[in-house]
Amino acid sequence: MIEKSVRCPKCHELVTFSGKPGEHLTVTCPKCSARGKVTFKKSAIDQDHAIEVSHLKKIYGDLVAVDDISFSVRKGEIFAFLGPNGAGKTTTVEIIESIRELTMGTVKIFGKDIVSSFNDMKEKIGILPQEFQSFEKLTVKETLVYFSKLYKKRADIDDIIDSMDLKDNQNKLYKNLSGGLKQRVGVAISLVNDPEIVFLDEPSTGLDPKARREVWEVIANLRSKGKTVFLTTHYMEEAEYLADHIAIIHKGKIIAEGSLEDLINRYGKGSLLHIKGCKTSNTVEMLREKGFNATSKGNGNIAVTIEHKDRLLEVLSHLRHECVDYDSIDIRRSNLEEIFLQLTGAKLSEVEA
Amino acid sequence: MNLRIIASDFNASLKTWKRSKGTMFWTIAFPVLLILIFGAIFSGVDEVTYEFHVQDLDDSDWSHTFMNILDNISVVDIKTVSADENITAFIEKETLPVALVIPEGFGEAIDKSFFGEEITVNVSFHYDPSEQGSSASILRSIVTSSLQEFNMQLSGGRRIIGVDQISTITEDFDFIDFFIPGMIGFTIMTSCIYGSIERNTKFRKDGVLRKLLTTPITRAEWILAKMLFMLFLSFVSTLVILGVGILVWGVSLHINLFMIVFMIMIIIATSFLFSGIGMIISRFVKEEETADMAGGAITFPMMFLAGTFFSLDMMPEFMQSIARILPLYYVNEGLRNAMIYMNTDKAIFNTAIVIIFATVFFLIGVFVTKWKED
Repeated sequence: MIEKSVRCPKCHELVTFSGKPGEHLTVTCPKCSARGKVTFKKSAIDQDHAIEVSHLKKIYGDLVAVDDISFSVRKGEIFAFLGPNGAGKTTTVEIIESIRELTMGTVKIFGKDIVSSFNDMKEKIGILPQEFQSFEKLTVKETLVYFSKLYKKRADIDDIIDSMDLKDNQNKLYKNLSGGLKQRVGVAISLVNDPEIVFLDEPSTGLDPKARREVWEVIANLRSKGKTVFLTTHYMEEAEYLADHIAIIHKGKIIAEGSLEDLINRYGKGSLLHIKGCKTSNTVEMLREKGFNATSKGNGNIAVTIEHKDRLLEVLSHLRHECVDYDSIDIRRSNLEEIFLQLTGAKLSEVEA
Repeated sequence: MNLRIIASDFNASLKTWKRSKGTMFWTIAFPVLLILIFGAIFSGVDEVTYEFHVQDLDDSDWSHTFMNILDNISVVDIKTVSADENITAFIEKETLPVALVIPEGFGEAIDKSFFGEEITVNVSFHYDPSEQGSSASILRSIVTSSLQEFNMQLSGGRRIIGVDQISTITEDFDFIDFFIPGMIGFTIMTSCIYGSIERNTKFRKDGVLRKLLTTPITRAEWILAKMLFMLFLSFVSTLVILGVGILVWGVSLHINLFMIVFMIMIIIATSFLFSGIGMIISRFVKEEETADMAGGAITFPMMFLAGTFFSLDMMPEFMQSIARILPLYYVNEGLRNAMIYMNTDKAIFNTAIVIIFATVFFLIGVFVTKWKED
């Protein structure tokens, strides 16, 4: 038997079904009772997915830290596990990394259960733990050599140093590096065994914007090398900038999952068109008459919410046709912050789950 | 066991140690400094003289002879107290630690004893009982041994009265001979406990243990690599302490197979013992600073109570009982008997105790040390 998680097209609930390889089943959504068909393609799942998490649960006493979550990570993609502090991100990733024990559920890496075969997986994965600090009195190069000697399979250290732009700092002691450089060294350490999956737990937390951007470039570069990246973050910009696939976790549950486009289309409020310095009276009324959700923001500023991108050109066409005079127009689509707000009623940046 | 991994970890520890001035200080410079300071303080102990106030109420030939015996002891400088003085008031007025009173009838009693009369006369030794370990106890022992000698000579009746200063041990050991083995035990204890605490609290806080858990290195390989490094440090510290002790203070070291075998056994067992205690501390006290304090709370009392710097004989009886439950006491005694006193029985006994302590604490330490999070 194999398991497959699908999202209900009607209520968007993520539901997991079991079936035999090659089997076609008619299934019913337990939440909205919508019916549909599910096909189990075992070979496709095994080949495409680097990580599969199914019904994972972690309980500490009365606290359910991770509550029955299921998701999968495709090979070669950057998967962002996004959520506020305390949502269960690090607990989940540390269970996948076998640092913590799971209470219930299964975690597979390359189709193998981690509980029974994690030692075999160690050569295939590289990990940057949360708030990792390496040996203070070793240089960058010595640190990388130390960690590479722990593995049978080793990447060329000089290549890693070059690709991480660490050459000028390779002989500096770790303790003398800036925060951004330390995080780059942390990512470099996770690559010493040329891993197929790289786990990065909050790699840019505590960094200034410039250093954060440098770390993002390093991570984006990993995708170009064909690595699968499991990125844990509470920065929505980081997930938006880097991720191919995003899972949003809140209070131990995954509340949304998909590509950025999917999430915006599914949960976002479309685009926000902002007319600045409008000098033509009754523009708001005109747009409302045409069926748009327009609001005056004062001083000639008007906000128009557009749910479907097709209607964007329609607005512009009306403005031109009515000879509306304005200074500028900004168009901004929904972002993850708004999606999180939509789903939880709270801002991601302000939530401590 | 992957030897390449163990060698790599050892090499990283060595580099870290060489670059850490603080660790270098505590493992090498600090014990050397202590040896030099304590050696300088106690090296001139033979030239010290103790003022000893004696009141002769008898004023006879025999009392004069006894006073001469005391006066001839090199470390005693006799000061005569007038027979008119009230000795209690005199001691209080002069704040004297001790004083001796030769009573009236002292000579008469001795004379009568020659004619077979069994007469006993006691000299009075006034001292402050709270002044244990100071000049009072030294002078008391001098008076006691002098009187024993005096009595023995009188009962023989032929020899000229005098005192031969005879040591109760076969060789003349200095304080530094006593101190050097204690210093070795103390240094191994501190470097192993604090080294273990650092590894287990700082590395846990910095995520190093979580990182290592996801690499192919096993916990056994890592602990073995760290233990090999701690043994290396213990032997380096021992050699430095012995080197300074021999070259600067001329420590009476007996280099033979017996000494080498027992020294190595004790040093290895001590390193495992205190590394195990460090592991236990850092398992239950997770904050780095608090764990350091907990380490201090264990090492400092043990340092003073276990006879590192001073002989247990100078302590009150109940303190001696406490010392005998401390592992460092057996380390110190084992090293002293192996290196200095050449007492095979005591060396074997103490080494066995240290090995038992080491086995128990190290196994508990390994058992309670976890890399995995809850």
